[in-house]
Amino acid sequence: MNEGQHDNQAAPGVGVDLQDPLRRELEGEIRRAVEAELSEELGQESRDRVVTRLKAELIEEIQARVARVKAELEAEILARVIPAPAPREFERFSGNFRAQHMVLLLSCLILIITGLPLKFHEARLSQLFFDLVGGVQVSTLLHRIGAVGLIGVGVYHLFYLVAFREGRRNFLELFPRPKDVTDLFQMFRYFLGKRDETPRFGRFSYVEKFDYWAVYWGMVVMIGSGLILWFLETALQFLPKFAADIAREAHSDEGLLATLAIIIWHFYNVHLNPEHFPMNRTFLTGRISEAELRQYHPLEYEALMASQTVRQTPPLDLATVGPLPVDPMAPPTVGHGTTGPPGQQAP
Amino acid sequence: MAMRIGRVGLFFLLTGLLTLLLAGGAQAMPKCLVCHGKPSLSKTLPSGRVISLFVDEKQLKDSAHAARACTDCHSDITAIPHKGEIKRVSCVRCHFKGNPVGAPQKDIYLEYGKSVHGIAAAAGNAKAPVCQDCHGTHNIRPPKNTASQMNRAHIPETCGRCHLAVYSEYRESVHWKAFQEKKADSAVCTDCHGEHTIKSHQNPESMTYLTRVPETCSRCHAAVDVVGKYGIKTEQVATYGRSFHGIAIKYGGKAVANCASCHGVHDIRPSNDPKSAVYIENIPKTCGKCHAGANVNYAKGKIHIDPTKREAGLVYWVSLLFKYLTISVMVGLVGHISLDLFRRLRRRKAAHEP
Repeated sequence: MNEGQHDNQAAPGVGVDLQDPLRRELEGEIRRAVEAELSEELGQESRDRVVTRLKAELIEEIQARVARVKAELEAEILARVIPAPAPREFERFSGNFRAQHMVLLLSCLILIITGLPLKFHEARLSQLFFDLVGGVQVSTLLHRIGAVGLIGVGVYHLFYLVAFREGRRNFLELFPRPKDVTDLFQMFRYFLGKRDETPRFGRFSYVEKFDYWAVYWGMVVMIGSGLILWFLETALQFLPKFAADIAREAHSDEGLLATLAIIIWHFYNVHLNPEHFPMNRTFLTGRISEAELRQYHPLEYEALMASQTVRQTPPLDLATVGPLPVDPMAPPTVGHGTTGPPGQQAP
Repeated sequence: MAMRIGRVGLFFLLTGLLTLLLAGGAQAMPKCLVCHGKPSLSKTLPSGRVISLFVDEKQLKDSAHAARACTDCHSDITAIPHKGEIKRVSCVRCHFKGNPVGAPQKDIYLEYGKSVHGIAAAAGNAKAPVCQDCHGTHNIRPPKNTASQMNRAHIPETCGRCHLAVYSEYRESVHWKAFQEKKADSAVCTDCHGEHTIKSHQNPESMTYLTRVPETCSRCHAAVDVVGKYGIKTEQVATYGRSFHGIAIKYGGKAVANCASCHGVHDIRPSNDPKSAVYIENIPKTCGKCHAGANVNYAKGKIHIDPTKREAGLVYWVSLLFKYLTISVMVGLVGHISLDLFRRLRRRKAAHEP
């Protein structure tokens, strides 16, 4: 059956080369009809059978071609109508959130640049720095400008966490959960090749949660100790001198810790990581591609897909193109079982 | 050859002349002492001040200039009775570089011209000291000589002849007391102020200019072989350098405490002396010179702290806590990054291999 079907499809009735068995059969029939001086009825019957067979084969061939062209057209139309299957993007960080990050970034930059030379005051680079900015008075002023930025964004952030729906939602997402610990262990297993997949993260992975809470802790230590040092005379009305000494030590040490964390950890995650090099732009644009969202935050992606019907250009409904005028009710009836049923056109 | 003969000839000529001069001087001295040997000889200046004109022959004989004639220095005296105005002796008549009589001369003497004394003298201040005011006149001796008024043991007294108020303050200080206890390294005026280079404390080049005080004090107080000998701690300079005061002063801070701001200047006393500015009960007052509203809280806690030493108390523990916190966090983060890169490398290798 299969062979016959294959033969039929590969030998269109356009009169080129009918393949052997069929051709031989047809030739034989024709020859017999011609040579046998058949009766009128018999001759007519024979002619009818030939015509029916040819018709059936033609239909099959047309159907196959139509199907092929249809598939090609479909692909072409899809490619044009849904322009370059626009990679979908989602908003990861709102403008508000990005503005906070930007102020934090700039403040930290000023604070680190003007703070480290104080900690490493014996280094020659520090000498160079103070010569460049014009002495310790100027660097102190710059440091306090940075401090105003840091305190400002810190206070605003607390307000944001309470007053904005988005803030409350993010805060809940940032809250540490047992899953973060298991994720960490699974990540180590993945690193060591004992797992093929990274753990599946939600909106914030344990890495991002660590970054957030590290900054939280850093802000508390740096702002707390920094205010004591800034308003030393006021602070010493209530605190003993050794408290100011502790504040100074904590400010200096936590400053270094935060700087190292930013330069080594945060820069690796955002810039140097081969996946994002030279830079993950989400902190600027706020946007994340669908592929990245699905890869790095699969749980968030799935929740998002489940909760909302994402607006999208509907896929071209091929049903509306309508059926092709093919008569499915015309099966070839010629004997010898050499032809398969119609309607086996290419999908 | 001719040149050499000329020089040798000149040498003999000069030494010959010198011998004659010395012989003349030696003979001339008694002549001068006819009048100046009388203790009562004096003169009243136009200002009304009476100055003694007595010359103690014995003193002169013991001085570095024993062999000099009176007129070697008092060159403007050519006749008796003296004519005209008698000027101050000018030491540079002999004490110049390459002088033929072998009078000592070092370049550092020339710094006097830029010193506060030299500038005042050049400006015509009659009270400004010239060489003989410090080094002595008829009693002049090399400073190494314990009888010299420029010997370390006599310097405070010599300076004090003009700087009387400072001298009386200094006599209260731990430096003077230590000196009296035969601790010869203890600071006298010149150790802090310099000698020929002495400058006003308002001159940024001065050893006692406010930003240079720590450096000046550290010359002894950071040196184990100086103050260490007497059981005085040397890390106070380093701990000051690490403090905000120390860092600020190093990088151009002006309104900031140097050593003297807290410890005092000429009357520095040990911290256990109730009169000391750094005596625990005086600390609020001392800090209050700069920090408005300073109270007893300022005295709660050590001033010179080294956070790496246990004596620093809580500060030491906080420092230790942060040290280990930083190390462990960094080990964790760098470990995480390394494992991440390690895994990426392995995957990349696996992808390249069939």
